[in-house]
Amino acid sequence: MPQSADTVKDHISLFQEPEYKELFAHKKEQYECRHPDEEVAKQLEYTKSWEYREKNFARQHAVINPPRACQPLGAVFAAAGFEGSMPYVHGSQGCAAYFRSHLSRHFKDASVCVSDSMTEDAAVFGGLANLVDGLQNCNTLYKPKMITISTTCMAEVIGDDLSSFINTAKEKEAIPADLPTPFAHTPSFVGSHITGYDNMIKGIFSYFWDREAQLTPTPGGKINIIPGFDGYAPANNREIKRYLDLMGVDYTLVCDVSDTFDSPTDGTYKMYYGGTTIEDTRAAINAKATLSLQEFSTEKTLDYVATKGQTVAALNSPMGVSGTDAFLMKVAELSGKAIPEALEIERGRLVDAIADSNAWLHGKRVALFGDPDVVYGLTAFLLELGMEPIHILASNGSAEWEQKTKDLLATSRFGDGGTAWRGKDLWHMRSLLFTEPVDLLIGSSYGKYLEKDTGTPFIRLGFPVFDRHHHHRFPTFGYQGALRVLVEILDRIFEVADASSDISYDLTR
Amino acid sequence: MSLDYTVDGAFNEGLIKEAVEAHPEKAGKKRARHLGTVKTDAEGTSTCGVKSNIKSVPGVMTQRGCAYAGAKGVVWGPIKDMVHISHGPVGCGHYSWSQRRNYFNGTVGIDSFVTMQITSDFQERDIVFGGDKNLEKMIDELETMFPLTKGYSILSECPIGLIGDDIEAVSKKKAKDTEKLVVPCRCEGFRGISQSLGHHIANDGIRDWILGKNEQEWETGPYDVNLIADYNIGGDAWPSRKLLEEMGLRVIGQWTGDSTLAEIERAPKAKINLIHCYRSMNYICRHMEETWGIPWLEYNFFGPTQIAKSLRKIAAKFDETIQANAEKVIAKYQPLADAVIAKYQPRLDGKRVMLFVGGLRPRHTATAYEDLGMQVIGSGYEFAHNDDYQRTAEYLKDGTLIYDDASEYELELFIEKLKPDLVGSGIKEKYGTQKMGVPFRQMHSWDYSGPYHGYDGFAVFARDMDLAVNAPVWSKIKAPWKAA
Amino acid sequence: MSLRQIAFYGKGGIGKSTTSQNTLAALVEMGQKILIVGCDPKADSTRLILNTKLQDTVLHLAAKAGSVEDLELEDVMKIGYKGIKCTEAGGPEPGVGCAGRGVITAINFLEENGAYDDVDYVSYDVLGDVVCGGFAMPIRENKAQEIYIVMSGEMMALYAANNIARGILKYAGSGGVRLGGLICNERQTDRELDLAESLATKLNTQMIHFVPRDNIVQHAELRRQTVIQYKPDSQQAEEYRQLATKIHANGGKGTIPTPITMEELEDMLLEFGIMKSDEQALAELEAKEKARAAAG
Repeated sequence: MPQSADTVKDHISLFQEPEYKELFAHKKEQYECRHPDEEVAKQLEYTKSWEYREKNFARQHAVINPPRACQPLGAVFAAAGFEGSMPYVHGSQGCAAYFRSHLSRHFKDASVCVSDSMTEDAAVFGGLANLVDGLQNCNTLYKPKMITISTTCMAEVIGDDLSSFINTAKEKEAIPADLPTPFAHTPSFVGSHITGYDNMIKGIFSYFWDREAQLTPTPGGKINIIPGFDGYAPANNREIKRYLDLMGVDYTLVCDVSDTFDSPTDGTYKMYYGGTTIEDTRAAINAKATLSLQEFSTEKTLDYVATKGQTVAALNSPMGVSGTDAFLMKVAELSGKAIPEALEIERGRLVDAIADSNAWLHGKRVALFGDPDVVYGLTAFLLELGMEPIHILASNGSAEWEQKTKDLLATSRFGDGGTAWRGKDLWHMRSLLFTEPVDLLIGSSYGKYLEKDTGTPFIRLGFPVFDRHHHHRFPTFGYQGALRVLVEILDRIFEVADASSDISYDLTR
Repeated sequence: MSLDYTVDGAFNEGLIKEAVEAHPEKAGKKRARHLGTVKTDAEGTSTCGVKSNIKSVPGVMTQRGCAYAGAKGVVWGPIKDMVHISHGPVGCGHYSWSQRRNYFNGTVGIDSFVTMQITSDFQERDIVFGGDKNLEKMIDELETMFPLTKGYSILSECPIGLIGDDIEAVSKKKAKDTEKLVVPCRCEGFRGISQSLGHHIANDGIRDWILGKNEQEWETGPYDVNLIADYNIGGDAWPSRKLLEEMGLRVIGQWTGDSTLAEIERAPKAKINLIHCYRSMNYICRHMEETWGIPWLEYNFFGPTQIAKSLRKIAAKFDETIQANAEKVIAKYQPLADAVIAKYQPRLDGKRVMLFVGGLRPRHTATAYEDLGMQVIGSGYEFAHNDDYQRTAEYLKDGTLIYDDASEYELELFIEKLKPDLVGSGIKEKYGTQKMGVPFRQMHSWDYSGPYHGYDGFAVFARDMDLAVNAPVWSKIKAPWKAA
Repeated sequence: MSLRQIAFYGKGGIGKSTTSQNTLAALVEMGQKILIVGCDPKADSTRLILNTKLQDTVLHLAAKAGSVEDLELEDVMKIGYKGIKCTEAGGPEPGVGCAGRGVITAINFLEENGAYDDVDYVSYDVLGDVVCGGFAMPIRENKAQEIYIVMSGEMMALYAANNIARGILKYAGSGGVRLGGLICNERQTDRELDLAESLATKLNTQMIHFVPRDNIVQHAELRRQTVIQYKPDSQQAEEYRQLATKIHANGGKGTIPTPITMEELEDMLLEFGIMKSDEQALAELEAKEKARAAAG
């Protein structure tokens, strides 16, 4: 008998037992009518070939394993970063369930979002009635300080107009007229989750700056920082705030999910926890500058902020030495504050660590995929480490991202072998890894299938990370974040070395 | 003989009142019909006292999903040797990518496609100009990429139905071109009111496009059965299959967890359909009964009490050989079950459980908990129909709190007030519950564990409930300088 | 002067694009800078201004390029008669896709890419009825403030006009859209002018101009020209100039429409003899059958 009460075997070991192996073989042979093993083996080999790669890259319509979600996910993430904000999705309820599950699976934390459950009748008559009832019910039950509304593709195809619908709901007194209701149209057939993030942040700003009341900026000394869509936001935002506090900068971190998605367990569930305050969000119009940490997640937002007379600037995920240097120098420039020695010491420690490990990093070929800013920031860091980014893939990267990445590669001889792939998916990446192998693959959890298929050692870095716990509780931004990423890369390299050869099984590396 | 305990029905009625009154009047009235307690009348008939399968109230944060989730995520997705196309924008396929844990044996991307996200990735131009032409071209490309696939299902996302694409015509055309099965499935998320309609639509697809279309050479035997509506989450279907095979039955089709298209096509040859998840596949069982006269039987493989009962019930449909075998199987595994209970019951005895899940688990797992000495004090379904609740009452004690399509608000309130020792629900409910200091197990995905079916699965089930309920961490919730 | 956004709505075939283009040609003569946004999948809202066959549309170009993000404004904006800027949203062929979504996509693109900068008038020419959310796009907030409904004395045109008024009312509260007036294109039905004025009163608006029927319009169209361009001295050109002058003077004078119920509309049609009452219709039918029986 394969199972026992003493050592309970679950799926991980149970199905290795002979009884089950037999069962599988019997099922396959008797009932499944599968292709002969030789044919499967032959096709498997073929998919590793250059010929298959060419066919794979000729695809124009079939999209296979794209590492990219849709707009409203980004909007719901953005909505979660404000104090007392209830994300609200106007459209099909299944979408809201998906967004909540997706965010919870990554952050290992509660994620809330209501929908107004539009069904077939709403598809015909429009979703106004759903929105009016939905806002009222949401407000009565959950008592939010603001309801932050985005749309699913259903509402977008039938062309529901949020602005007028929300006003109607307020006229009908479904919710108080002064309850903030920022909104953004977030069609899922345009862009990706980072577009939705951008649209929502812009929607929140424009609600508080233009709609609620027509505010006139009175420029002060504050700086707005927008972190962007970031799976490591809980730790990264805290790290960024620590830097800013050390520098003595007066700032508003706009859209701060660091508490929302990393709240303590203390016996009480708090639906609303942390987030940028509404007051700070209103006052953000008076900042002298707005700095985005992720250019491609905030393009429209920055354009809008610039119309209010602020200086705007954008980085591409401040990772690594230069990425963090650039962040600090930009903050120093915008705020007029000096970079304190404490940070220079942290920088020095990172440089020290890189120097210690340089030999193990040098010339290692890396494939990476993810959101455009993350991939760009990571590419820059890899070049600093003397590693060679080879396949650099952003399924939701724009033409600007591609050009910018090419320019970055051109700055270093370690970038010579690198290609920026935009709009490609992980089935493309599979061909790349088979035809032009690399030493490491870096990306979100979806990369685990590539590791299994191609044998490329894999490091999880990106969004989502579903199958490893608590990665988001440690930063990737800043000097500390760079150290963490460096250690993960090194650990993987050493594990591979240890597993590869009995002879070179050194005690000291 | 089920476990003896009482549930405080009066307290639960009070909770219902409190929940209803928190809503605006109109919404409260609607929700009141979905909340109730189990009651047994003078004739001994138990009822749950709730309405079900009704549109969710907007804005209350229903935990329900959509028809696409039911059709792709539940029914079609696990069929391993077909390519399942999420037809529409990228999101739906992305969020459901590899999330159901439908285990299978096969080579991914070569002859099996379960853990892949294959989508037409609609762009604005597809919405405006329609997506049919690109869908045709897409299938051609997939033929090049995956020549060993046995066919395609086309799972519509919301926009497809709204812009009036004709995926049936595309399917027919491409079936001819590729000489493979191409099944259109109109499971747009706005259809129906939950995952449930998606199951039904997917069943209809199997009925209209597969069954009876491609007759296989098959020498029927007296013991041919189909194992229906086990999606092999964490490998569930395998211990179930093992028990049936040990009884001497031939499982000629296993739907749809780890199934191949051939197993679906062959189904009408079986003598009986054994159905695990009634909610998601009763439709196709009824169809096979009407068309081919195949009877169907519901069974429950959670926990030794129900397993033994079900094995005997199944065996009763066959001859004495099978009946004798069933007894042998029960006798073989009873010591394992006893050992599991002996090990875990002392740690779980009297612990109170609340459930909120999908398909059949809010009732089928109840006895498994009781086998371990645990008490079910509340239960509810995301997307059940009336016939599910009819089947539920007999599993539960009078007074048990019943919540249909419960919202986040209601669940939070009930958990807070009932303070159960364990909550079994889903990922959306998990972390909020744990923050309250209440142990939790995901009962959709088995919390990445499993299998839970059969005797082998019961051991895992018992271990998991114990490790959740008795984790040392629950004693650390309050800082010692604050603990009362 | 701030930007004025106007829109022409009307039942298909009513002469909406002809009326709008002639009016805009007259407006440009008055020194106004104009942008046309054609929102009819037929894409015929700019051909008389451009003197060409149909213009390449935003959506077709976007589909060719991959997505709208890949387009530049110059690709989709052509310059026509006296500098009028012309764009067409475009849309799918009948029976496929979603034309309404196309309108939303195109307008968002034009706005984001600065098509609205440096013009006095933006004019939307919108297909038929407000059939779905997409066709209401031009009357959402920050879009057209004044709607002109092109109609005639025919029953369906009146139905459509009332329906459009309903659509406007829906958005009037939040977006500030107003009904500028009815433009009646003469179809030579009975008491057409009276009927149009009566409907205007009921809808709480004005019949801003009655455009008489003249074959010269067809002659001009065959040459892909407006009457203004083809026969500037004709009486018909003068009519359009008058209409343009009235519209120009009508800024900010729009009203919130008061659409009427179907019963009220039917009563009105009965009153004007456009529709027959059930009794009338029955009587006629009986008379006809009697006549046939007599003949047989």
